[in-house]
Amino acid sequence: MTNSCSSISTVLEKYFDQEVTDEERFLVEGHLQDCPACRDALKSMEELRTLMRVPVEEAVRKEDFPWVWQKIEREIRLQEKRTWWQSLRSWLDVTPLFRRKVWIPAVATVVVLLFITTQIIFKKTPSYPDVSVVEYVESQSDNVMVYQLEDPKVTVIWLFEGPEEERTTT
Amino acid sequence: MAVRRSGGGTDNNMKRVGFLLAAFFVFSFFFALTASAQVPVRMRVIQASNVGQNIDPSLNDVHKELGSLFSFTSYRLLREENLRLSPSQSATITAHPGRFMEVTLVGLQRDAAKLRIRVIREGKDILDTQVRLSPGRTVLIGGPRHGEGVVIYAVSARF
Repeated sequence: MTNSCSSISTVLEKYFDQEVTDEERFLVEGHLQDCPACRDALKSMEELRTLMRVPVEEAVRKEDFPWVWQKIEREIRLQEKRTWWQSLRSWLDVTPLFRRKVWIPAVATVVVLLFITTQIIFKKTPSYPDVSVVEYVESQSDNVMVYQLEDPKVTVIWLFEGPEEERTTT
Repeated sequence: MAVRRSGGGTDNNMKRVGFLLAAFFVFSFFFALTASAQVPVRMRVIQASNVGQNIDPSLNDVHKELGSLFSFTSYRLLREENLRLSPSQSATITAHPGRFMEVTLVGLQRDAAKLRIRVIREGKDILDTQVRLSPGRTVLIGGPRHGEGVVIYAVSARF
């Protein structure tokens, strides 16, 4: 390899990738005619590319990228004109969310919020002893007795339809 | 064919989740409000007499109270109604034709339900009362004759 080889080697790779200018191509090709070392270097590059191309192309052939197609199909569908009902159904369709596992934190949030809401809505204030269970009682025809117990929690309103009734109750 | 890149997909999904959550909570809130505004009321018509010594098995829960309050030897369940009352809603239970009790939910507080109770005999009010029922309390309205004994109306609210 001569001194000019070192200057050529900087553009040799570009020449191999066909990225050189016309002037550089002319220069490199003139040098290659006289320099077997640089010809060997270029040949090595070609062999290396051939070696790499086969497995890469094979790998690409095996991969069909299904998710890319799904995305493309979805975009195509979006381009089509749809009725308002179809739009609403599509908007409310949550199946893509289930595929992404977004539903796990969503469900957890719903459960927590539901629990808190339920606690607030159904919260019972402490019940104080009833001062009076019966707010009013009226009877135009009979006498009435009100009897209130705390244990058991029972209130009795008794109607006396006749004098003999009083004997039947305690 | 030009293919648009869907950069806003995540935003749309988040909006969708937000909308569904909001709808769910609005629905749950109104459902809870509606459900909490109703009071389960239990109404029973009991015939008490001194004929025999039968205690209806379905009256086991109030048998002790009945025994401690009255001196009747026999208690028989004639009729039972379990229903949910909304404010201003009424329900009736009949002892026998021409005699019935009407219960109206007048108001609802956190610890008590206000009930107006009317006992009607042949179109005439023989009792008109308003009671405040806390959970677990029972109101017994008795006295009207029924066969060889008397009729006792039992009203309780569970909420």
